Amino acid sequence: MATPFETKTTPSGTTLVVRGSLDINSAPALAEEIDRIVGTKPAKVECDLSALDLIDSSGVAALVKLYKAVRAVGGAVAITGARDQPLAIFKLLRMDKVFNL
Amino acid sequence: MNPTIRLTVPGTLRYRAIAVRVVAEAARLVSGSATRDPNDPLDNDVRHPFDTAVVSAFMEIFNNVAIHAYQRKDVGPIQIAITPSATDITIVIEDHGNAFDIEGVAPMPSELDPEALPEGGMGLHIAKTMLDEVTYEPGPPNLWRLMKRLPANQIAREAGRR
Repeated sequence: MATPFETKTTPSGTTLVVRGSLDINSAPALAEEIDRIVGTKPAKVECDLSALDLIDSSGVAALVKLYKAVRAVGGAVAITGARDQPLAIFKLLRMDKVFNL
Repeated sequence: MNPTIRLTVPGTLRYRAIAVRVVAEAARLVSGSATRDPNDPLDNDVRHPFDTAVVSAFMEIFNNVAIHAYQRKDVGPIQIAITPSATDITIVIEDHGNAFDIEGVAPMPSELDPEALPEGGMGLHIAKTMLDEVTYEPGPPNLWRLMKRLPANQIAREAGRR
């Protein structure tokens, strides 16, 4: 199964694109990628969710980990593009305000 | 009497996507929604609020059964009975694993601290908040019963069309 995420690094920052379903099966691989991204001490990470169709609580936990870990090394996280079911989940958990969705 | 769709899958996360797709299609039967891509009737996306609620809750309960009841081991089935009607959907999920301590789940905090966002304990909160009814009876077999009604204004609209 193809990984549902892709990382692009440019001089202006790191972009993490997440696609398809971010769930209990795919979140562990994303968590590993998050560890790798955080290890580079990025100043800014954009997490693009515009191609994300479904998310569950494990997927939310992975994105919370990204948010906390990047901020812990002095960086900033922008979560963008959330729509449909993922946006409904963030709103239900009241994380839409934290993530400025 | 409304027909019931029955699906039995091994109780591991490997079979989760199959069950989720069946539930998503059953939810669409009730909500009347379509997939984003008409050429892919089993497209993963769910957009209608009814479908969103049903699929989101089901995913969390399936995760719970595979992780807590069956301890991530292929040691028993998950039996799923889905009954869609014109006004609601009922999903009964049965397993033969360890019983779940539903009373032991801590509630979500009423205020979210951006510096201390939760990384767990959200699944049951999602299911309970999105559905009209969530009940659990410890077994064996353990039984989850999930129910979601269409909004009253949509039921009235659909009735007007008939």
